[in-house]
Amino acid sequence: MERTTLEIIAPSIEEAVARGLEQLGVSRESVEVDVLDEGSKGFLGFGARQVRVRLTLKPLEAVSTVQASLVSPPVSSAAADDHLLEFAAQTTRDLLSRMKLTARVETRYGEPDLQGDVPLHVEIRGDDLSVLIGRRAETLNALQYILALIVSKEADRWVQVVVDVEGYRARRERQLRQLARRMAEQAIRTGKRQVLEPMSSAERRIIHLELRDHPQVTSESIGEEPNRKVTIVLKK
Amino acid sequence: MKALTEYIAKALVEHPDEVQVTQTRQGNRVRLEMRVAKDDMGRVIGRNGRVANAIRVLLRVAAERDGQQVTLDVMEP
Repeated sequence: MERTTLEIIAPSIEEAVARGLEQLGVSRESVEVDVLDEGSKGFLGFGARQVRVRLTLKPLEAVSTVQASLVSPPVSSAAADDHLLEFAAQTTRDLLSRMKLTARVETRYGEPDLQGDVPLHVEIRGDDLSVLIGRRAETLNALQYILALIVSKEADRWVQVVVDVEGYRARRERQLRQLARRMAEQAIRTGKRQVLEPMSSAERRIIHLELRDHPQVTSESIGEEPNRKVTIVLKK
Repeated sequence: MKALTEYIAKALVEHPDEVQVTQTRQGNRVRLEMRVAKDDMGRVIGRNGRVANAIRVLLRVAAERDGQQVTLDVMEP
């Protein structure tokens, strides 16, 4: 692990920490959190100042914690909220019908992520749903964001929602893993830094995770959202 | 499109009763104006307009199916 500290700016401390953990790919126990700026009031408020936190990776733990949490079984207590599953499914159906789309919707809880939070998965199936994905998944991500806000409001806590249409995200993940390996080979062959196209944090994370144990290269994200991109460089 | 906007806005705000969306048409252009309670503005706009922009992306799907263009403005109360 090259990066040992990371500063994150986000609307709330919880969100900042969650994002930082996602970028580092470690669990909450693996870092120390310093709040650098508590921000000013108003969660999504107009002109409100955001929170700034610094995560410092504790030595030794990082890698083993990740692997341990990846194989741990789902947390049943957190997953026991059937009401939220039905609420998310109905909200998705309501949104789709108002977008004049017909589709089948199923919801389920996913595997706990590296922080132990259980994401809520929304699967949408039907014919001719490519409009629901959009260019570079723009529409899919917009739907996912709106759903996460609505579901989180209902739950009174932040709920990570993952929306998939006809297995698009799984296919995309496979492509990204291949891309990561190909670009790593290219970095090794040419000795030059490889810069990937801009991606969402979720997509960048897939690349980082694919290369985290690579013996010869390391990956890091550069630039500002929404043009933040992964670069792959040779380890020194 | 009005129904979609209203649905999302009402689900996000603290004062759903105060959500108002008006829709006007000019040819194939649809213009939506949304009004919400003052302290709900941030909830429908979001940081850097992220929430409003996500709503616009979803509106575009609905609009394109009817061969229309849509704009959404969040009006000051």
